Amino acid sequence: MRFLIILLFALNFSILKADEIYNLIKIPNLEIYKLNSSNGIRYLNTKNDFRIGVDDNITCNKTDLKNLENKFPIITKNFEKYSSTFLKLNNLKYIVLCENLFISGINTGGIPEFSKRTLIIDLNFNPQYFERMLHHEFFHMIQNSHNDLFDEALWTSFNENGFKYAECSTCSDQLNLDLYQNTDGFLTEYSKSIASEDMAEIFSFLMVDKNMVESKTINDQILKNKMDMILKSIHQIDNQFNF
Amino acid sequence: MIKTVKASLSEKILFIFLLSLAVLVFGSFFLIKNKCLFVKNIDLTKLQFEFPENIAVMNVECGKVIVELYPEVAPKAVERFKYFLENHLYDGTTFYRVIEDTLMQAGDLEFGHKDTINYSKVGSGKSGLGNLKSELSDTFEFNAGSIALARGDTFDTEDSEFFIILKDIPLYQGEYTPIGKVIFGLDALKKIKIGNKSEYVLRPDFINSFRLIN
Repeated sequence: MRFLIILLFALNFSILKADEIYNLIKIPNLEIYKLNSSNGIRYLNTKNDFRIGVDDNITCNKTDLKNLENKFPIITKNFEKYSSTFLKLNNLKYIVLCENLFISGINTGGIPEFSKRTLIIDLNFNPQYFERMLHHEFFHMIQNSHNDLFDEALWTSFNENGFKYAECSTCSDQLNLDLYQNTDGFLTEYSKSIASEDMAEIFSFLMVDKNMVESKTINDQILKNKMDMILKSIHQIDNQFNF
Repeated sequence: MIKTVKASLSEKILFIFLLSLAVLVFGSFFLIKNKCLFVKNIDLTKLQFEFPENIAVMNVECGKVIVELYPEVAPKAVERFKYFLENHLYDGTTFYRVIEDTLMQAGDLEFGHKDTINYSKVGSGKSGLGNLKSELSDTFEFNAGSIALARGDTFDTEDSEFFIILKDIPLYQGEYTPIGKVIFGLDALKKIKIGNKSEYVLRPDFINSFRLIN
């Protein structure tokens, strides 16, 4: 018995395995889920819970295989809307799939890791908004890659005089993601949190239902200005882009 | 009269067993001592190359490693690499980072030379020529023997350090600047000393010489 314990210790401590994924994107406990997608996105699965970020403030759990198999086609269907050129221009290469994603104790659908060209996605995000969330989070990467095209001061000037966004996206309790019947410049309550979330909300709706957004802009000039700015900026990045 | 005592069957078995054990012990001693025993020696005179100007020979403890460089894939990186080879700057540099059956990294010209290795800084040394822009390829396949320039956490930080992979790592495609492939002698590289408990190797093996053949 004692020999067996010593042997197990020896095996445990003497085999050094390389973690190529960690070396690249600095997130532990991942494995390749799908490497060769049509547009070059590399999908990584979380095989064990991980903690990353400042003071380990970002946490996410390993995936349930059945859940992953159910959600994966939805994820690929949505990201296949982007060409490899567009993804490169906006620095998205890796998508990490995990469950119950939290940042500083707040549950979130996705977190972009800009420097690592990585988007972390929570498979358990509310199914009602799941598809739109994918585009919303990717928009933050687009904006980060082309800050000059998404001038927040100009964007804010589209709103009615006196309107003020919150100091940060989580500084407000306006988090509802349901579409307003009467838009009045904003598609959802969450749009009112900060300018970049407002942009991301419009972009995500354009990606899942462009006709609906266009119909809302017929009687909403503020929303029309915002939509036009998104369309123009995205086409400045890639004039071949189709919503 | 002397009476002959015949060995019993079990005594014979025991004798054969002890004899086999002795052979095994002595054999193992020599095998373990000579880690290069089964590494095939490469005779350069018997090899012909289509582009000899892109062929380099690395001499390590267990033999020669023949490398083909690909200037068409990464022109600037290969140009820089050739400069180091022509000036013999890689001679004596250590394989300070080695992961068994996976990869080995060398080429720190500042802190990674065998005579002056600085364990606290190795891996952060500079060549003095400045950083190179990453030259990524979406088609170069990172299979066993591929050589690429190492970089920091961000792109465009390549300099003199390079790594060689010992297994296929498709994840590296489009991530690192590929400069060539080992076309002969991967076995010699597999004998390079590894660090058991860390990627970083104490008293690492080193490159005896690394030269272009032309």
